[in-house]
Amino acid sequence: MTSIRTLAVLATALLGATLAQGAAVVTTPQVRAELIAHAPQGVAAGAPLQLGLLIRHQPHWHTYWKNPGDSGLPTTFEWKLPAGVTAGEVQWPTPRKLPIGPLMNFGYEGTLLLPVPVTVAPTFNAHELQVALKAEWLVCKDVCIPESGDFSLTLPTQGSSVAHAAAFESAARALPKSLVEARGAAHVQGDQLVVRVEGLPADWQGREIDLLPETAGVLANAVKPRAQWVQAVWQAALTLDPQRSESPERMPVVLTRAGLDAGLAVSVQVSTPWPAPAPATAAAPAAVAGASPSTTAAPAESLPAAATPAMGWLAAALFAVLGGLLLNLMPCVFPVLSLKVLGFTRPGVDRRALLTGGLAYTAGVVLSFVALAGVMLALRAGGEQLGWGFQLQSPAVVALLAALFTLIGLNLAGVFDFGTSLPGNMAGARGRTPLLDHLLTGVLAVAVAAPCTAPFMGASLGVAVTMPTAQALAVFAALGLGMALPYLAATAWPGLTRRLPRPGAWMVTFKTLMAFPMFGTVVWLLWVLGQQVGIDGAAALLAVLVVLALAAWSLGSPGRRRKGRLGLGAMSVTLLTITLAWAWPSWRIAPTTATPSASAEAWEPWSPTRVSELQSQGRLVFVDFTAAWCVTCQFNKRTALADAGVKADFSSRGVALMRADWTRRDAAITAELTRLGRSGVPVYALYRPGQPRPELLGEILSAAEVRAALARNAASRVTLLEQRP
Amino acid sequence: MTLNVLLAAAALSIPLAAMAAPAQVGQAAPAFSVTDTSGKTVSLAEFKGKTVVLEWVNPGCPYVVKHYGAGNMQATQRTARDKGVVWLSVNTTSADHRDYLAPAVMSGWMVQQKAAAQHTLMDTDGTVGRAFGARTTPHLYIVDGKGTLVYAGGIDNKPSANPADIPQARNHVLAALGELQAGKPISEAQTRPYGCSVKYGSAG
Repeated sequence: MTSIRTLAVLATALLGATLAQGAAVVTTPQVRAELIAHAPQGVAAGAPLQLGLLIRHQPHWHTYWKNPGDSGLPTTFEWKLPAGVTAGEVQWPTPRKLPIGPLMNFGYEGTLLLPVPVTVAPTFNAHELQVALKAEWLVCKDVCIPESGDFSLTLPTQGSSVAHAAAFESAARALPKSLVEARGAAHVQGDQLVVRVEGLPADWQGREIDLLPETAGVLANAVKPRAQWVQAVWQAALTLDPQRSESPERMPVVLTRAGLDAGLAVSVQVSTPWPAPAPATAAAPAAVAGASPSTTAAPAESLPAAATPAMGWLAAALFAVLGGLLLNLMPCVFPVLSLKVLGFTRPGVDRRALLTGGLAYTAGVVLSFVALAGVMLALRAGGEQLGWGFQLQSPAVVALLAALFTLIGLNLAGVFDFGTSLPGNMAGARGRTPLLDHLLTGVLAVAVAAPCTAPFMGASLGVAVTMPTAQALAVFAALGLGMALPYLAATAWPGLTRRLPRPGAWMVTFKTLMAFPMFGTVVWLLWVLGQQVGIDGAAALLAVLVVLALAAWSLGSPGRRRKGRLGLGAMSVTLLTITLAWAWPSWRIAPTTATPSASAEAWEPWSPTRVSELQSQGRLVFVDFTAAWCVTCQFNKRTALADAGVKADFSSRGVALMRADWTRRDAAITAELTRLGRSGVPVYALYRPGQPRPELLGEILSAAEVRAALARNAASRVTLLEQRP
Repeated sequence: MTLNVLLAAAALSIPLAAMAAPAQVGQAAPAFSVTDTSGKTVSLAEFKGKTVVLEWVNPGCPYVVKHYGAGNMQATQRTARDKGVVWLSVNTTSADHRDYLAPAVMSGWMVQQKAAAQHTLMDTDGTVGRAFGARTTPHLYIVDGKGTLVYAGGIDNKPSANPADIPQARNHVLAALGELQAGKPISEAQTRPYGCSVKYGSAG
């Protein structure tokens, strides 16, 4: 035995990767591989028997999993066993991710046992079990070496073989656990595969999980999945391999968690039919040699198959202008603008200064829209699941806006005055650079108006995010232009503003009056934050706002003496710092248990699998895509969707009601919105049985519209019934 | 303030946007311009109107050696050239990798192998490799006369290092070139490449 081993070592040392005949151990400069067995009750029918290849890698060398990833090959087994003895499938232990440059592999380093269960038929009655194995493996570090070995092993049938019990036990511990209750579903969404896994064990919930596909050739292995927990459901958007070669209906995957040896084996059902892997037919007729150069126009950038509303970008831009116009009527934008217009009535404002101010404001609005859109498009290109209004999905941004509106409101109410509170040079700068002031007003108007898609905007923006970047940005710029237009018009034709009353005491009254819509906006923002982080976070924000008000009053109250200002100011600023430090953490942790609107009677939380399930049961499904920060959504919820007639129709027609809450980021909802050609909420979708594409209702919903859509369905069902023999 | 933050974010996001996704079958192949082993600049555009095969090669890789040692890659190259196809072998091995070969050495290896590639491209910084999404050696791509990428994948369907598997394997490249010439759609336009990893530099 020893001599054979020595020979094997010698042979491999001489030839690198070679075969050693008939030994249990093969050693190469990279690995030591050994065929081992575990037969605690001897070799007999019904007795547990495992064979296995034990591979000890030299440091930094690795071999591969059943899906090797971007390169490499899995270790293969070719058994020679006597009649009546059959080897099963390799029980691959949970692999590791092995990044190499921009590529990703899946495999093993260190000591690895690949166990194979063996079944013995009752007909097998030899004294010994002769096992022969030809195994091939690819071992890589910075270079790759394909190696193979011929192994043989003889086991007594009577005695027990347990010398390697520990190795088999630890391999069993590293085997991905199969969970009966874990269910996985996935659908293709553009260049992403959106996976949802339910029924994961309690100690996995809320943890960071990675996904390794057993099927090769589907996913871009090096791209990290964008994952999140929505209550007990793990959702992940995985990037598809742009050169995908496989289209499996069922994808077994292994979920892994840092610090655990064993992952979880979950079978993922892919629901959407896979899009055709390659539209190569379009290019095929070109002869191999000599296509005419005149037909070499670059192929148009193709839209993702899901989003092809027949709307050119010019039409989209036109709708964006209209949508932008309507944004001026948003309750939080109107006061900002009306204050600006008030400024026109100040004496001594000349026409030219007015117009330049209007242009600066327009520039501020357009630039902000383009910047926001640019950020969104760039992040989406980077694989983030974002949509319009994404900035309000961050509790910190909501808190910041609430603080800003509180300050504006207090200023309007006369609690403090910028002129007295700001150091002289800064106040002067503000006076000297009115252009910057106008520009920033534009930025502010966008910050508060953008989250809610006014009518026309939803479709425009949905189209925009699927367009080539330059065109998409043009659509967003058109949106900004539309929004700035009324103010710009007022500055260009002061005739319009001359209709305003003459300056006087009423201006102070009006200014104070405008403080109240501001505080109203703060109430809304607080409610949004409450939905995102719970009542503690909302209370913390209120505390911060109170101290902020105190600080503003201490520093800026008109008529306060310098000494008092300094003392009170120092105290209140300290207090503000302390309160902020205390409140800050509560705005960052999003509770996973809060279900904002699911408590409402018949509405169940949205899930794409549930939608298709209900559809297949022949039910109508109405989905309300909504978010707490979306005013239009809340308006519709309290009017059209609360309408008694609509409710009656819902229940009499057995409509399943679902709410997709986008208050926090949610990859699955973003993906479905993209599929519907939208990028923001509200969206109201009526899914009919047997039709994958839902009917979309208007963004300003009316009870009549909902009822008509429901009735249309009834009519079409009747016709269907009549057509049946 | 808000504007500043937004502008900063936008500026940060530019590299993200500029980082294009790898080539996709059915879309325009990424344009490139790179020097070959003789120092001559070669660009994809100069072959417009002709079908071009790109083959990722690394003489240090056993899978490349499998196909060159058995003469399979050279035979595929000759058949392609007889059809008027341009064959470009691409070496995307980073200069700091032990598999790296200087242009003259690489050129000598190709001559010694009696390879029939028109050019052997030295993509040492990995630009072409990343643009096409090349992952393995060998990894093969076909660009048609219109500049559209029509095939991406392996040389054949027997992922092994064993030359004895070659006769039984379906040569995906010859099959695709045949279908392309006949004006038929390519039946297997995306297959799994197999082999060693492309030795990109550590820069990412």
